[in-house]
Amino acid sequence: MPQIVQVAAIALATLGTGAVTMSVMNEDIPDLEVPQGPWTTSGALDNRTFEILGRDENSGAVFDGHLAFRNGTFQSADCQEYCNFGWSDYQTKETDGVIHFTTTAVCPDAPHTVVFYGQVEGDDIALELTWTTRRWYWTNQIVMTATGEVVPTNGAGAEG
Amino acid sequence: MAREPRAEVHILKPAGASYGTIALRVVVLITILVLVTWGAHLIRDALNLQIRPDNEQQVHRALMLGAVAYIGLLALPFVPGAEIGLAMLATFGAAIAPLIYVCTVASMMLAFAVGRFLPISALERLLSFLRMRRVAALVSRAAPLSQDERLELLIDGQSKRALSLALRYRYFALALAVNTPGNSVIGGGGGIMLLAGLSGIFSPLAALATVALAVSPVPLAVVFFGLQI
Repeated sequence: MPQIVQVAAIALATLGTGAVTMSVMNEDIPDLEVPQGPWTTSGALDNRTFEILGRDENSGAVFDGHLAFRNGTFQSADCQEYCNFGWSDYQTKETDGVIHFTTTAVCPDAPHTVVFYGQVEGDDIALELTWTTRRWYWTNQIVMTATGEVVPTNGAGAEG
Repeated sequence: MAREPRAEVHILKPAGASYGTIALRVVVLITILVLVTWGAHLIRDALNLQIRPDNEQQVHRALMLGAVAYIGLLALPFVPGAEIGLAMLATFGAAIAPLIYVCTVASMMLAFAVGRFLPISALERLLSFLRMRRVAALVSRAAPLSQDERLELLIDGQSKRALSLALRYRYFALALAVNTPGNSVIGGGGGIMLLAGLSGIFSPLAALATVALAVSPVPLAVVFFGLQI
């Protein structure tokens, strides 16, 4: 067998071993589990913007940001800063005057998926989210919680 | 033809070492390991590395750069590149163990392929360029020899029984040598695999299987048993 073919065979076998190893050993971390229910695309939170203060549950790091709802879509200014998530469709359901919402934002440029689940009661909002990054060699997840309240809408979206 | 004794292949043999000396060496090795582990924890605490959305991209780039450096350094003879892997494990924890494992296997096979396929004169020049004079000298002596003569050169000075055993159980011996703590004094994982390739007595696929098994205990322990580095 020519040497070049042998080298290619070794490289292929090594890569194959690596790929199998990664698929077996690299455990996935599931996104935030959103409760089942009669979720609908109602636009119930449209034209509202919330100012939030949250924390990373693992590191304790504190962050603030703005969440905006427009035309059945949602955007987090803080997330938008790190990746161009854009506007994501959101769904709602109402229970005892509390509007529950959920949305999933997927970064088009990097393997980030952010799942939000929150409740809006009057002008107050409480939410939890998971920011999951699935690289080929590992999966990293950041779990955050936040609370906040509605602020006047400037009409420009979440950048505020 | 009389040959000079091969210091490179006799270092493992503790000729003349008393039990007291061996015990002392073990104690020193354990002390070093404890100190290194303690140091790694101090560094990790000092770095307080948290992966957040704002630094994940930088962490990813650093990891990829570290992985490439790890593969390259570990493949070099006499370079204790395994420490880079341990440092990455200490910094990023068990989640990085699969990457370290794959990089280790890739590095070992890179060294093996270089030893087996690179023209021996080019290998000698490369090692001389890297200032690895001892290995370059060994390769230089091996250059004009046939494959059988090279094998004889590499295990020169051993008894017939040891030779026969080493040949019969060569894959086991290879796994043992790659896993032996402190093997950087006889060439490290890269040097051992380079010579394994050079010897011509190891089939590439069997060598890959041997390496894949041989380097698996630490990452497997980290992943499945939560071993703390």
